[in-house]
Amino acid sequence: MTTPSSRADTRSDRTHPAARMYAREHRAGLMDRREFLGRATALGLTSAAAYALIGQPEPARAQTVPQRGGTLRIQMDCRELADPRTYDWSEKANETRGIIEYLAELRRDGTLRPMLLERWQANEDATEYTLHIRPGVTWNTGEPFTAKDVAANLDGWCDTSVEGNSMPSRMAAMVEDGKAAEGAIEIVDDLTVRLHLLRPDGTLMFGMADYPAAVMHRDKIGTSVADHGIGTGAYMFEEFKVGERIVLVRNPDHAYWGDGAWLDRIEFLDYGTDPSAWLAGADADEFDVTHETVSDFIDIFSALGWVESSVGTSSTVVIRPNQEAEVDGVRPYADVRVRRALALAIDNSVPLELGISGRGRESRNNFHVAPDVHPDYAEIEAHRQDIPEALRLMEEAGMMDYEHELVSIDDDYRKNTTDAVAAQLRDAGFKVRRTVLPGSTFWNDWTKYPFSSTNWAHRETGIQLLNLAYRSTAAWNECGFRNVEFDALLDQATAIADDTERRAVMARLERIMVDEGVAIIPYFRALYRHAKPGVLNIEMHPKYEINVHHLGWA
Amino acid sequence: MAGFIIRRLGVMALTALCMTFIVFLLTNLQPNLEKLAKTQAGARITDAEVASWIDRNGYGAPMLTRYGEWLGVLPAPLATDADGRAVGGRCLRGHPGLAADEVPRFCGVLQGDWGYSTKFRRPVTEVIAERLQRTGLLMAWAFATMVPLALIVGVLAGMREGSALDRGLSTLSIATTSTPEYVSGVIFVALFASSMVGLKWFTGSAKSAVEGATFQNFTLPVATVALYGMGYIARMTRASMAEVMTAQYIRTARLKGLSFRAVVLRHALRNALIAPFTVIMLQFPWLLTGVVIVEALFVYPGFGDALVQGAQNNDIDLLLAVSVVAVIVVLATQLLSDIGYALLNPRIRVA
Repeated sequence: MTTPSSRADTRSDRTHPAARMYAREHRAGLMDRREFLGRATALGLTSAAAYALIGQPEPARAQTVPQRGGTLRIQMDCRELADPRTYDWSEKANETRGIIEYLAELRRDGTLRPMLLERWQANEDATEYTLHIRPGVTWNTGEPFTAKDVAANLDGWCDTSVEGNSMPSRMAAMVEDGKAAEGAIEIVDDLTVRLHLLRPDGTLMFGMADYPAAVMHRDKIGTSVADHGIGTGAYMFEEFKVGERIVLVRNPDHAYWGDGAWLDRIEFLDYGTDPSAWLAGADADEFDVTHETVSDFIDIFSALGWVESSVGTSSTVVIRPNQEAEVDGVRPYADVRVRRALALAIDNSVPLELGISGRGRESRNNFHVAPDVHPDYAEIEAHRQDIPEALRLMEEAGMMDYEHELVSIDDDYRKNTTDAVAAQLRDAGFKVRRTVLPGSTFWNDWTKYPFSSTNWAHRETGIQLLNLAYRSTAAWNECGFRNVEFDALLDQATAIADDTERRAVMARLERIMVDEGVAIIPYFRALYRHAKPGVLNIEMHPKYEINVHHLGWA
Repeated sequence: MAGFIIRRLGVMALTALCMTFIVFLLTNLQPNLEKLAKTQAGARITDAEVASWIDRNGYGAPMLTRYGEWLGVLPAPLATDADGRAVGGRCLRGHPGLAADEVPRFCGVLQGDWGYSTKFRRPVTEVIAERLQRTGLLMAWAFATMVPLALIVGVLAGMREGSALDRGLSTLSIATTSTPEYVSGVIFVALFASSMVGLKWFTGSAKSAVEGATFQNFTLPVATVALYGMGYIARMTRASMAEVMTAQYIRTARLKGLSFRAVVLRHALRNALIAPFTVIMLQFPWLLTGVVIVEALFVYPGFGDALVQGAQNNDIDLLLAVSVVAVIVVLATQLLSDIGYALLNPRIRVA
């Protein structure tokens, strides 16, 4: 099978100087292979070229080529669609990935694979990116896919005036006054777009591979693909019933650019949020793949003879006080002593064990950067439970009698993790009341609860997460954490393309998060998925991505 | 008779009006509208974006005005952008891209437009029709199993009060009716459908029944509904039967020398069926909403599931339509049972 990336290998790309530097770091043992590959491919190297730089052959992918044809049934929430930029669930992107595609794709191993782009290059300080569009890609209307489409999408990704558009935070290095900065997006020719960034950003391409970055036709930006079906992908909707089922079939009138699209038909079936209903569906032979298998059901599905696949991620449950939330006229969590006391009362291995049955790894300390997953992770001192100190701090703050209301969503692991934290807080001597809200109402006010737990999905680098959730101005800053020093360090860290150097700043950011008691971040999860034997290329992805073009039966 | 029916229809319309007004009030409270904005425009939008979404999409007007728009007695305003393109408003829902002058001014129930389901992204009439059909199928099978079974059990138990047969059947019917569906359903799934026990006679998910109900995928949901309702009807039938069996005319019939069988079938049965008839008719509205649990348990996307999804997502138009359907079903079954009563018992006249 010729993969898009190996096709690109034949070009004599100029190797990015930073990539050479990463290779040196890797050889010097400063950077592990996974993070080297992630960094190097983000700068525009093909994965084969990246492997070559460190003197290793690229491991062969997809040893078994799927058969052409067949139907695959996938258990997954069937969510309504809107403008892709406003997607708030990876499921929505999985529903549409067969129709609207992405410039690049994040692989399971953390590397980027070019899709609608054939390749890209970044200049030395990551302030200028040249995007080379894959020739021969057409829309299913027959029109060619050109630089105009890419530029129009980039423009749309930078537009902060669209309600719920989460892309500007990923494109922040190009956004000025709520839209793409003047001259930031330059169309060089039909197949080339050059980006001029306001400041260096080595993570830009990860943003373009993220699930809200689906590429729409230039005239259809802002619309839902369910309304018109225009895209570059090989599939089309045959049936679209929210909350029930979504059926994709191969589009007979469209010549797809890639080799994939093995299956004739893909069905997404909605079984609700109760895993026992999924098990009943699997027992009834109604589907072939789970979207995500959770908790005790992981062992049960394996016992059914289904094939388990798992991947370590930076996804986690953040149990955070909101520093700005008012309860009865006071702000209980504005006091750092209260927040520290809460964190110190917790032994992080307990939520890991009780919340997710140990399926993941304990965090180093209460900061949102994952060891062994994030390339910019910096090691600082480990967290240690210290109940006497917690009591002392809480006493000092005069909050021993305060009853904390800890809110969580009603599900399996998030509820159990939050329960474990609540139990430990009670054991330490604090008063805690648990409130469990159904999924449909929980998300309405998720940033405003005074004290609650939130699940955060995986991001490729730690700096992305810190920018997304802890910057003063971030829309998703659910901790009410506004710290000038932290913001300044974030700016500094974001502009650093070099990992070792960034780590020094990351260490300081991480320490601020710990010292300020911003949140309790007990563990980082591993994600699991089960499929019947014979389903190919369905392995669990750190961001739950399912690209239906790759799937097939052996 | 005609006057009676017309009066009943009038009551029905009035009840539906009151009911929908209450549902409208509750679903249009400000926090619920904000919730709707967030499910529609993205869970993580800011407060300013929520406010602009509410205004633009026609949820900003006073509540009574919007209730009038839903009824179709008031025109629904249309939001347009600087270029005069329609960007939002009640009548635009479900028709994106319609030019501003093509959007109708009125689009309420009186115009035959039941609105647009914001959860299912389809016209409400389509959703309701499809879901009612599915639940109708489940109910039909449940009734076909439940009613004959319940009557047989009830009559057998009631014809000889206090006998061993009566005791046995009464225990059975009390057991089934006192086991809630979410218990019996789970037990059935564990026993007959899971790899755990390994019988796997049926499937524990009825999702594939949408494509076509089979003995395999439909037995457990039907049995769960039917068994719960059966015990209740059987108890009523038994009580009614036992009472009739002590009546004077039954003793007379026995004394005339008629066989026990003839007495039960020809003389007792018809009179004994009057009381259970009401109970059976009352099962209709109960089944329509009571299937919520069974549909959730067996992942069967029917009317109950639409109700749950509508409530969870504050799907205003869908919830209004659901309540109208519920009112119609409740009052129509009452009407039917009144008429049926008169037919069963000549002493009662409908007037």
